[in-house]
Amino acid sequence: MLAYLQNIAVLFCINAMLALTLNFIMGYAGIFSLAHAIFFGVGAYATAYIAMYFTDSLLICMSASILISALLSMALALPALRVRGEYFVAASLGLQVIGVTIFSEWKSVTGGLGGMIGIPRPKLFGYVFNDDGMFLLLAFVMLLIVIGIIALLVRGSFGRSLMAIRDSESAAQSYGKHVNAVKTISVAVSAGLAGVAGSLYAFYISFINVESFMLETSILLMAMVIIGGTGTLFGPVVGAALLMSLPAALTYLPFLPPSELGTIQQIIYGLAMVLLMMFRPGGLVGGRSREKSA
Amino acid sequence: MTSAATQNEILLQIRNLNKNFGGLKAIQDVSMDLPAGVITTLVGPNGAGKTTLFNLITGHLIPTSGTVHWLGKPLKGIEPWKIARMGIARTFQDLRLFSHMTVEENIMTVMERSSWLWQGGRTEAEKRVSEILEETQLAYKRNERAVDLAYAERKFLSLARIMASQAKLWLLDEPASGLDPRSFERFVTLLRNYAARGITICIIEHNLDIVIKLSDRVAFLDQGKLLAQGSSQDILKDPHLAAIYFGDRS
Repeated sequence: MLAYLQNIAVLFCINAMLALTLNFIMGYAGIFSLAHAIFFGVGAYATAYIAMYFTDSLLICMSASILISALLSMALALPALRVRGEYFVAASLGLQVIGVTIFSEWKSVTGGLGGMIGIPRPKLFGYVFNDDGMFLLLAFVMLLIVIGIIALLVRGSFGRSLMAIRDSESAAQSYGKHVNAVKTISVAVSAGLAGVAGSLYAFYISFINVESFMLETSILLMAMVIIGGTGTLFGPVVGAALLMSLPAALTYLPFLPPSELGTIQQIIYGLAMVLLMMFRPGGLVGGRSREKSA
Repeated sequence: MTSAATQNEILLQIRNLNKNFGGLKAIQDVSMDLPAGVITTLVGPNGAGKTTLFNLITGHLIPTSGTVHWLGKPLKGIEPWKIARMGIARTFQDLRLFSHMTVEENIMTVMERSSWLWQGGRTEAEKRVSEILEETQLAYKRNERAVDLAYAERKFLSLARIMASQAKLWLLDEPASGLDPRSFERFVTLLRNYAARGITICIIEHNLDIVIKLSDRVAFLDQGKLLAQGSSQDILKDPHLAAIYFGDRS
């Protein structure tokens, strides 16, 4: 039972990090990306590859994941950020499709559809995180660090620039904001921190394949952000907690047939989204209203 | 009405400016100067090309031909954010406030020249924000979101942002439209004060009260052409221009 709860807690930390980093661009910069799972995947594959073939050092693997995810996001974001709104959503969908294809076809690096098996647990200053309890502590500390970084960014001038761009790109430009630079940096920060989640995921699960980084994951992360509260600091954490605990909670309801739990779960997700958008469009943590015109 | 000290310096020089949208000639061979410390009002019927002219100055549109010089430097090809940092700021007819940011954040973000985490002069910036909030009588709304403000307050917030921008030239697109009489008087006083401090202001306005009360110069645009420029009395007295303005072209 304890192992089961620990497992949920670690996965919650990883998903909360992903939701936080997606919210950083979605909620604060107005960049609706359907490709977040790709940067999660890049982080995971980078760590898996380095850990399996070079070193299991947490610092090296995680740093490489951050760097590769951030750099790749910049290379991909530069052309994609030229388009706005729904056009960026479409462009990000394209990135997601390209990413999944590369993950499943670049066999020499990603292991293809079979993925990568036997990723060792990370080592930090000589300590190997073989104990799941200690790994949970590591994941929790990393979650706090990610929250801290995002809080620092959104509550300062960078965050104000992001929100200004989100609310009116042309007005932000007219007051001297270098819109493309700010957006590119925000995408890089978001992807880099998603790389942290990817790194932890690879280390924790010890097996990764493309299934974990599909479009469904990107949509689930978006749902976490929307349900929790777009543009709020703790909304995505609440959204992640809710969506991560729901499947577990459903298993404790004896009147539900176990074979139908997956379907019921999907219906609840969908219903929750519809009801929230109707009655609390700002999400659970956000306000009741989110008027857009001013 | 304006500061005499800097009046002779030409801040912005527009020469033979043209802008075509396909077959439509939105701006046709417009040449005009904006001297320092002078309030110029652009008048003309809807579709005359007034906002297009603003967009060409601020880099939101690229001219088909002709030049715009700011302090002697050509602006063609320079991105809007760089032009803003050179000292030209604007407001928008539809305001384009940062809706989900507070009044204070709207002003503060305009004051921040960069987006770096660590900004110098934080105390002075906060002091200036407070001054602007007092001047625009928005201090009591400091922590409210722009989207939650009343219409007149939004208009003043739009003005507060440009006051915070430290720009030398303000381009105001219909800033007084829809203001009640009391707010209108406050607005006129504010603009007068800033013009007296040496700010150069160019206003697009349909409200003839503004034209009469504030303008040093009036430029009359129609169908993309600059038909006349001069003092407000001269322009408003011209029966031909009045006929165009009120829609009688016969």
